[in-house]
Amino acid sequence: MSSTAPQEKNIQFMPKKAKDRVFDRQGNVPTEYFKDALFELEAKGELIVQKIEDGNWVEVETKFGRKKKIPIQNTWHHKSCGQCGHIPGYSTSIFWLNRLLGLKYHDPRDQTSCTAWNYYASSASNPVAQASIAIRNFSQAYQDGFFPLIHCGTSYGHYKETRNEILHHPKLRDQVRKVMDKLGKPMVFPEELVHYSEWVHAMLPRLKPLQKRDMSNIRVSVHPACHYHKLVVEDVIYDRDLYDGQRTAVVSSVVKAFGSYLGDYSTWHDCCGFGFRHILVSRDFSRSFSTIRKIERMKEEANPDVVLTHDTGCVTTLDKSQFAAQAHNRNVGVPVLSDAQFAALALGAHPYKVCQLHWHGVNNKPLMEKMGIDHKQAWEEFQTQVKRIEAKEIEYISWEDAQ
Amino acid sequence: MKPILVVGGGPAGLVAAAGAAGVGRKVILVEAKDKLGGNPIHNHYSVFTPNQVDAETAMKEILSPVEKNPNVDVRLSTMVTAVEGEAPNLKVTLKGAKGEEKVDVGAAVIATGFEHFDPGRETQVYGYYEYDDVLTLLDAEKMLKAKQFLRPSNGQKPKSVCFIQCVGSRDRQIGNQWCSKVCCGIASQQSIEVKELLPDAKVFIFYIDMRTYGFWEDDIYWKAQEEKKVNYIRGIVTEITKRGDQLVIKGEDTTMGRPMEVPMDVVVLSVGMEPSPGTKAMAKMFNLPLEHHGWIGRAGNSPLNTVSTSRAGVFVAGAAGGPADLEDSTSQGGLAALKAVGYLNGLKA
Repeated sequence: MSSTAPQEKNIQFMPKKAKDRVFDRQGNVPTEYFKDALFELEAKGELIVQKIEDGNWVEVETKFGRKKKIPIQNTWHHKSCGQCGHIPGYSTSIFWLNRLLGLKYHDPRDQTSCTAWNYYASSASNPVAQASIAIRNFSQAYQDGFFPLIHCGTSYGHYKETRNEILHHPKLRDQVRKVMDKLGKPMVFPEELVHYSEWVHAMLPRLKPLQKRDMSNIRVSVHPACHYHKLVVEDVIYDRDLYDGQRTAVVSSVVKAFGSYLGDYSTWHDCCGFGFRHILVSRDFSRSFSTIRKIERMKEEANPDVVLTHDTGCVTTLDKSQFAAQAHNRNVGVPVLSDAQFAALALGAHPYKVCQLHWHGVNNKPLMEKMGIDHKQAWEEFQTQVKRIEAKEIEYISWEDAQ
Repeated sequence: MKPILVVGGGPAGLVAAAGAAGVGRKVILVEAKDKLGGNPIHNHYSVFTPNQVDAETAMKEILSPVEKNPNVDVRLSTMVTAVEGEAPNLKVTLKGAKGEEKVDVGAAVIATGFEHFDPGRETQVYGYYEYDDVLTLLDAEKMLKAKQFLRPSNGQKPKSVCFIQCVGSRDRQIGNQWCSKVCCGIASQQSIEVKELLPDAKVFIFYIDMRTYGFWEDDIYWKAQEEKKVNYIRGIVTEITKRGDQLVIKGEDTTMGRPMEVPMDVVVLSVGMEPSPGTKAMAKMFNLPLEHHGWIGRAGNSPLNTVSTSRAGVFVAGAAGGPADLEDSTSQGGLAALKAVGYLNGLKA
């Protein structure tokens, strides 16, 4: 049907347009509220529920209208294995945002990998091991006196599924308790499981007034992480003002907050290509899916300057897959950043010393130029610090050096 | 002689009221809206399955015995706000335009029906609140009644239309673990009507299983396929997005065992049934236990009891007690009237 075809005359009835349809998100919540079971177990003395202290949280709304608490500070940063290994500027940007707001946080060195990659990719491990690792980490955060903030989308999704198992299987709890007893740790579960992108979303009213760089001419497409918004969907943040409340608000809210253009595309809901099993055993499929289904669609339909996402696997797959596709003259070549990196850049963070854009595969210099960043000067500043490391003047770039 | 209270002026309530009044009982028929008729009237149904009889004309057949019978005291725009006591001495508070009134009734029939599932709550991504050309069966029904089927985005005739079945039904993720019974038949019926209006349009129905029982099998399902060339595709549609000025539906063709991605001008979501707010409110007010899916429960476990609740003198009819088609609803309305009259006559109901 051509859009230039004439509209029918004498229309008798026409359904409301989407903008006039009002979705009441306060309707039925289809699932039980996990907090009911969680606090019931605490009342029975089975575990300790770690609470977010009063006055230290922002309330947000989830898919079906339930409220969720997002801690502001005193956060225990549960990092992502792939993030630290492949895109270190990702976690650095999250810390930088905390420091910009003057918030207290803890970057633990004794966090255990959640092992969810094994679970999702190959069904390795077992429920007791998985649940024990989750509770071991939460217990450590509790003992450190900080509330878990999970950087990895997969850990976040997996912990939510694990929470359901822990809450409903007494035998599993007994088995985990034996493991915790051996470790000398208490059984602890936080009252909320919070992804860092939820924290960024909740902090936007505080961050926005501090914006340093003009992002209004930047076109952005968003890729939502499957393990964030497709697992335990009722616990995911939605906002009436973003996509009419029908898609998760995180990440997209960052784009809007800093005044950039949010470009939609038809494969928004598709996986980035990582797919866990695919990236391990069918990597060519991952690369093709990532570039042909995602990046090329974005370029054709939204023509973004940058793709923002909020998980390790998504950033690496969408970014690094473009290298091979470029060799085949595919229509690719869009930088991929995390929402935290984008926010940090908007707020004046150093592109190399903090956001570490040199770890990314796609050429991001044109993007920096659009943001008004002198990347040549920034690179020289970074190299000055690198030379100090080489000269053994410093061991690493400190926060003061990164200013 | 105390009257029988009928709550709900849809098909089940109308037949219940007419039935009790027809054998000489006084009836108070309470309807929250300003007009009788229930979903078929308020939601502008086009035709009834399986014989394509005009809905408005058919509804007149059950409306007129109520409207013409002096034994029926119709209270429009009226709500039941409180219930005290036990049958046959129920004291019911009614709140209408003229304020509150307490009435004594001997028995009650709850016929407060269902509401259509809101597709915004679906965990599949159907974009009803995002895209103009994603519709529900209700939107489509109203257009078909007006004998025009157009794309809301641009007012043009669609060249491709599809129906997606089981939206809000048979879905454990959202907690609706029931089949809504009528959607397969209604979608097939609507597909026939679309083809009659737009013979050149390609029409598809994406389904999990087609459930067109009884005569619907022959009169709707096969008619749609053989006479109207409607394409039935077994598969789950999981997402609707937009590319250019067309929708794109994505999912899995489970017959072929492969993913599918099909451009479409109009998508109609076959939204299922859920207990209406009135049904939930009446269950609480009359202290009626719900069966485990959340609808008003019948007494005992026997499938042979279709209208008696666990409270003596209080009966349920139609879709207040679970997904029901019009035949079931009206039949239960008649039986509820018979049981209510029998109860008041001192017979075991």
